[in-house]
Parts: sequence; structure tokens; C-alpha cells
Amino acid sequence: MDVLLNDEEEMIRDSVRQFFDAECDMLRVRGIEDGEQRSDPELWRQLAELGWLGLALPAVYGGSEAPFTQLCLLFEEAGRALAPIPLHPHSVACLTLAEAVDRGDCGALAETLLSDACLGDCLLTWAWSERLPNIGPEAVGLLAVADGNGWRLHGQKRFVEAFELADYCLVAARTEATGTSDEGITLLLVDPRSDGVSSTAQLSLAGDYHSEVRFENVYVAGDAVVGRVDEGWALARPMLERAVVLNCALIVGATRRAAERAFDYAKERVAFGHPIGSFQAIQHTCADMITWVDGAELLTREAAWHIAQGLDAALPAAAAKAFTNERCQAVLREANQIHGGYAQVKEYDQQLWYRRAAAWSMRLGTSLEHRRTVARAIGLV
Amino acid sequence: MDFGFSEENERFRAEVRAFLAAHVSAEVVQEMHDADAGADVGPLTKALIRKIGDRGWIGMSWPAAYGGRDADIIDQYVFEEELARARVPLNLGNFIEQAPAIMQAGTEAQKKYFLPRLVRGEVTFALGYTEPSGGTDLASLKTRAVADGDGFVINGQKVFTTRAERSSHIYLMARTDPDAAKHEGISIFLVPMDTPGITVRPLWTLPGGRTNEVFFDNVRVAKDTLLGEKNGGWHIGASALNLGRAGARRYCIYVSPFEDLLEYLREDEIGQEIASDAAVQDRVAELYCEAQVARLFTMRSLSMVRRGVNPPYEISSEKIWGPEFQVRTTETASQILGAYHQLWQGETAPNGGSFPRQYVNAMVSTFGHGSTQVMRTAIARRGLGLPKD
Repeated sequence: MDVLLNDEEEMIRDSVRQFFDAECDMLRVRGIEDGEQRSDPELWRQLAELGWLGLALPAVYGGSEAPFTQLCLLFEEAGRALAPIPLHPHSVACLTLAEAVDRGDCGALAETLLSDACLGDCLLTWAWSERLPNIGPEAVGLLAVADGNGWRLHGQKRFVEAFELADYCLVAARTEATGTSDEGITLLLVDPRSDGVSSTAQLSLAGDYHSEVRFENVYVAGDAVVGRVDEGWALARPMLERAVVLNCALIVGATRRAAERAFDYAKERVAFGHPIGSFQAIQHTCADMITWVDGAELLTREAAWHIAQGLDAALPAAAAKAFTNERCQAVLREANQIHGGYAQVKEYDQQLWYRRAAAWSMRLGTSLEHRRTVARAIGLV
Repeated sequence: MDFGFSEENERFRAEVRAFLAAHVSAEVVQEMHDADAGADVGPLTKALIRKIGDRGWIGMSWPAAYGGRDADIIDQYVFEEELARARVPLNLGNFIEQAPAIMQAGTEAQKKYFLPRLVRGEVTFALGYTEPSGGTDLASLKTRAVADGDGFVINGQKVFTTRAERSSHIYLMARTDPDAAKHEGISIFLVPMDTPGITVRPLWTLPGGRTNEVFFDNVRVAKDTLLGEKNGGWHIGASALNLGRAGARRYCIYVSPFEDLLEYLREDEIGQEIASDAAVQDRVAELYCEAQVARLFTMRSLSMVRRGVNPPYEISSEKIWGPEFQVRTTETASQILGAYHQLWQGETAPNGGSFPRQYVNAMVSTFGHGSTQVMRTAIARRGLGLPKD
């Protein structure tokens, strides 16, 4: 037991941070936010060339097979840098494809995409929620009706990241009319340019796009199935846990940076003849901020460690997300409070961290939803 | 990052668990509760402490030369965790709280005398820091120690001196130079409690236990009771206080009211009925997440200490989060269990009336060993580098 970073982990964190410090300043972040695509293809290419898109993927696809804990660190740093790239949806989809292939019960398409995905030549995303913003099986209603060797999709998905940019979207559908149960779910790879697919990109608080996607009699070939038909929950559950933990890592990274900016500001900003950081009211607020963000980080890393060890991560992932959502929002709120009026000004950078980390805390399950998972896991329900 | 325990750690955990199952009886636990309520330490407790000491489980991570066994401090953490899990109200940490300071600042003779006796439970210290005029502002202490011939003469008063009535020694902070800057004229003395001139008076507390006032009236002590340099006591004291705050036992105390609440809601018939409310489930799940943070903060402090790093602010974070969590837990539990939570004794009192005791006990944790406000200031200044003025 040693919950601190080991030498290798420190090296990865430091080199990722140096890269983002050099390549991803706030001018670049702002430029992408003002642009059309809301994603930086050049930064994406650089990340691919450095091998970080394949950090936790198997070597056979060109990946580095690093443990999930190291991927978690990459995400903390991407969050800290506000890297304007679809790292989260891409990684979630890639890891699930790799797991399905590894389990040996997967259509042929997944395997053929992974090498390109590892190199950054194929962008993947994923789609789970629909009307309800939940991440349980009850959120999946999109119907897949058998058609020869393949399937016909009827329905919709919401809150899909980078959908219009993606080459393939990993979609959860019901291959049996099983209502809200975790049975009868199947994961399928869908080309966003297929006939019958239409989407509307909607702007989020974070400044990126979340798409609403409609599927009208969309044909998907049989080789696009990922995992087993009707037994998609077996893959989806770990997929959602990884998605939740990586989302926490983004939030923690961005929130820590927002907090550090507030600490720095408190040292410089003078009021009543003293730096405001000398006032106890500010000092005690700052002490709480670092305590809360540290707590979120430890919970997140512990959940990542469970995943890396192949242990059941349902409870630690839910605990991390329930805590991180609310406590990091509180840290961001206090960071804004320390900045005072400047926190609301667009040309001042603080809002860049605030808006993104806050929006991320609204994705992939509310604290209430995750506490329901916790309550079940600790035997209260 | 490694959040797991090694096979060796787990083997040791099983050994401790088996020992506790075999040697901890309801009678000895009752004896310990009675002692906390002011009775003398009973024979069963003394026997149990001796058995634990014989196995080398007190101060086990210390150097073998001083009576320890050079064990990994993670084993010590595991031991404390198991002791708490078995609900044994025995604070072995108190026995050895002053040991790091003695190891750091003591003479060879002091180390050889005190350390082996501490691990065997033969020497126990009461902590003589707080005075009527100040605890949080410790450096303003007024108790005087004046050099006199071959030793010192001590006059003054300490307060909230828990266990003074049953400790062999007091770890005393006193002023040796009234003209120096307030942090620079302080020394530490290891004073036997049976020295003439020391009077102990009980102060009975809400949870049903006692703390004390200790009066020093021309108490004459030998020169070798001085720990470290004369007038250098503040710097020893500060680091000992810091290390004293790490350890599994603390987090176990912070989270034990939560574990009792959870067990009651899961196991008890009325508890189950109360827990069928989704609002209750949500609040308890929130407390669960917060309890994990308390545990993780302790694991982090331990990881740092184990690497030889003196944590700049992390132990203070632990000391804010844990006690405030404990208070939140007991207040939340009180609004979940309602009238059952107030029952101090009687047939229908859940857990024999432990809930209201935990409620009033929790209060002490946010000011004992330094108030949470002082901790916040320490984090801001030492951890974050915020300016003094």
C-alpha cells in the first residue's frame, strides 16, 4: 500500500503536463472554442504520435498496455489543460472494443478499427443515454430489430460527444423488448454517415457539442456487434465504470488547476492594504478547497486502481463520482468567489476551467444516481 | 499508486483478527468502558495489554534497539484497524504518542529507559500542553520551569489533561525563558506523575469520562527530565504533535459512528424500516463516500510518513475532514433515528445507548489535539503558502 504516485506514474504525469503546457495554452483552447468543430485536430494528431491515444490499449494494436491508473493520470492532465479533444469518448469506446475482442465474442469490425483508433486515424465515440440522463440499463430504449444477418435501429440517443466528427459510434440498443432490464442490450458500431442517421449538435456549458442523434430504420451489419447479442450489459457495465472514473479524472484535474489559480490570485490581490490570502476567511476557504479536491482525487485514483487490478469497481467508481461532482463544484464556486468580479468576465481565463469542470460534473450520472448505486452496494436497499 | 495490502499484510491481519477473537471478552471490553468512565484500569485490561505487548504489537514499527521490531508501519495500521473493527476501546496509540519525539530528541539514556517501557505499557504519558489561558495558542503557555541547582522547579497549571490520573509520566511543556520570543523560551520535560507537588483534579465530561486539571506547586525535577535542548521544546513538540495525528486508529474513530449507524440500519428490524426511505438511503450513501475520504487521507499520510516525507499539510487535512465527518455523521444519524438516537440506556436504546454517547463524543474531536480552525490556518500557510499578513 502506497497511495502516492510511483516513479513511472510521476514520469507519465510530468511528461503529459509538459506537453500540454507547451502545446495547449489558453489561446489555443479559446481558439478551438470559437471555431466550428470544437476539437483540435492538430493536438489530436500530436497526442496520437506520442502514443498517448493507445496508452492503455493492447500492444497488438500499437498500444502501450499501461494500467488503467496511468490512463487516469493522462485524463487528470487533459482536464487540467482543458485539452479541446474528444479524448474521453474515444478512450471509452476503444477500451470497450479491446475488451470485447479480448473476450473473444465480438464481430469482426471492432478489431479492424482498433489499430487505426490507436494511431488517431479513426475517431470513436459512444452513445448510451436517451430521454433520461441516467447511466443505468434503464436509460437504453433504442430498438434494434433483426434483419437478416444484421439489425435495423429505431430510436434516438442524447448527449453524444463528438458524434459528427466520429468515424464510428458505439451504440447501446435493445435487441429484445426487455423494458428497463439489463438483459437484451447489445452494443453495436454505427457509422454516423449511415442512411437514416441524423443528428443535431447542441452547445454545452463546457463549450463543446453534445449531439442528439436519431436513428430511423438504420441498417447495421452483423459484424458491427461488439460483444454478445443481448448480453451487452456484461461489457457495458465496466465501460460505464471506466467512463465514470475517467470523467472524474478530468473534473479533478481541471478543478485542481482552478483552485491553484485562486490560491495564486489570493497571494497577489491586495485589499485593505493586505493580500487577501492573509485573511483567515480566505485562508480557511482555501484549506477546504485543497482538502475537497484531494479527497476527490484519492477516491478517483482508488476507483481507477480497482479497475486496473480487475476488481469490482462499481462501488468505488460510484463513490468517486458522487463525491467529485458535488465537492468539485464547491471548489469551483469558492475559486470564483476568491476571484470576485473577474470570475464572470469572459476575457479572464478562470471561467474556462469553471465552465468545463462544472459541465463535466453534470455528465455520466448525478451524485443522486451514484449514491443510489452506493446505497445498493452497501446493503441499504 | 497502490491501494491494496500485500499478502504479508493480510496474513498479519488474519493473525491479529484471530488473536482478538480469542482474547477479547465482553468482560474486558466492559472493564475498559468503566476505566474510561473514571474507574481504575482493571486486571483483565492489564493482562490483555501485556499479551499484546508480548507479541510486540505496541510500537511495532520502531527500531528493534528501542523495543520495537522494525515492522512495516502498514502492519501497525492494520493492527489498529483490526482493534477498532473488533470494537476494542483500547487506545494503544496513546501509549506511544510521545515516542517519536523521544526518538528524535532524547538522550541515549532517555531512549533506553522510555522506549522499551512504552512498548510494554509500563510507562504511559499524559499530555501536558494545554493551560487554562490557552490551548490553541499553545506557545502562550505560562507554566514556568526555573533552573535550580541540579534540576528545575516547576510551577503552574495544565488543563484537559486526559489520563493524568492513570499515567506514570506527564509530557510537560513549560516556559524556561520568559524573556525570549514566545516560541523560543519553551522546553519539554518528562516528569514522573508521583513527583511531590503535583495534584490532579478530575473534570467530568459529557460522554461519561473524565479529564483533569493538573497543578504544579514547586515541583522539583532532575536535569535529566529535560527532553532535547533547553528552550528548544517548541520545535520538538510541533513535530511530535504532527506525527501523532497519523495512524489508522484516528480514522477508525472518525468512521466508527458511521459503521454503527449502517449496521443498525441493515440488521435491526426497526432500522431496516427506517432505511426503506430513499432520502435516508441518499444521506447514508453520502456519508459512506465521505468515510472513504477519511480512510484515504489516513492512507495518504501513512504513505508519506513511510517514504520519509513529513507531510506539509496532509495530516492537517485529515484532522479537519475526519472529525467534521464524525460530527456530520452523528448529527445525520440523530435525524435518521430520531427519538431512538437520544436513548442513553434502557431496553429500547439501540446498541445499549451508544448513539447519544457518540453524539457528544464527536464534539470533542473537532477541538481535541488542535482545533479545526488552527488546522485550516496551517494548511493555508504551510501547505498553500498563503501569506501571514
